[in-house]
Amino acid sequence: MKLEGFPQNVALRDGASVVIKPLDVEEASAVLKFYRSLPEEDRLFLRDDVTKPEWLRRFVARIESGETVSLVAESEGRIVGEATLDRAQHGWTRHVAELRLAVAPALRRSGLGTTLAHELVRVATRIGVEKMVIQVVENQVGARKMFRKLGFRQEAVLRGHVKDIHGMKRDLVVASSDISHIWDAMESLVADFSPSHE
Amino acid sequence: MDKTEIRVGGLGGQGVILCGMIIGKAASIFDAKHATLIQSFGPEARGSACSAQVTVADEAIGYPYVKSPDVLIVMSPDAYTQFAPQIKPGGILLYEKELIALDDKLSAGVKAFGIPATRFAEELGRRLVLNIVMTGFFAGVTGVVSFEAVEKAVTSSVPKGTEDLNLRAFRKGYEYGRDQVAGGN
Repeated sequence: MKLEGFPQNVALRDGASVVIKPLDVEEASAVLKFYRSLPEEDRLFLRDDVTKPEWLRRFVARIESGETVSLVAESEGRIVGEATLDRAQHGWTRHVAELRLAVAPALRRSGLGTTLAHELVRVATRIGVEKMVIQVVENQVGARKMFRKLGFRQEAVLRGHVKDIHGMKRDLVVASSDISHIWDAMESLVADFSPSHE
Repeated sequence: MDKTEIRVGGLGGQGVILCGMIIGKAASIFDAKHATLIQSFGPEARGSACSAQVTVADEAIGYPYVKSPDVLIVMSPDAYTQFAPQIKPGGILLYEKELIALDDKLSAGVKAFGIPATRFAEELGRRLVLNIVMTGFFAGVTGVVSFEAVEKAVTSSVPKGTEDLNLRAFRKGYEYGRDQVAGGN
């Protein structure tokens, strides 16, 4: 799937600039390098072991099949952030996509996470996704705040669902953003209906 | 005074009024011209006849009603039947060519340009943006409003989150319009 509007040069809060673009599967090994550079505690919150070549093969296959959209942020030729939109191709949740996001520790609180997430929301509306979901651990306060600003609302809390690096059980928060209403607004706009006739 | 009178006609739900509104907004706010808009609806939200009258001029407009348009944009067969005879001699007809079949109602000298706008909108992902494809087609064929002005008018008129698709719809219509003019119709 060809995504329009990329690459994008983005200036971050601290003045640094990054390039955001869809992941080129020919250069996918750079993603592996990026994930291996993340602290182990961060990787523990991810569903897959993203340091293994087998994971990368599955990831690339999903991108090629259109099930996954991956955007990466590059700085000085290195990946410093990655955002993934995962969507079932069939079945009763094919209108739903899950958003996942990882940013290099040095660039957290720089606005990069928000930018990547915002771009993925844009991509999602373009490819017909109607609802986006995220899963965050209760103590990922910054991430929860960022997603709230992007319109995500808490839908469920799974108590003691994940264990952190110290073996402590933590709640997993599931939040979602219904983006189908965006097109409801457009539908109202083209209704050619005078309110005075109501 | 350089003045262009435009009528947009179609069915409720096709975004006829929004098409007229974006043309007027592009001209008046982003191209620094003057514009007026008159809109009329049927009593139902969907499927009833509806039309917009837009006048674009380089000076203040004293009379906003359009009796004989220089440009007629039609998106439904009924709108074509009703308004095509009113086009000024030498005027321009822009029509949805997979919904409307031209007949002998057109005055001599009227230049007709067709576009499969509904199909383009569906190919882009949403039939809903048919009117934006037509708006782009209008800008591409007539040049009455600039590309940049319509781009800004579209961006500022459509709901947040839908800008991308609407802009792609606009560009699709605009480029198709430019090609039609360059290809001598």
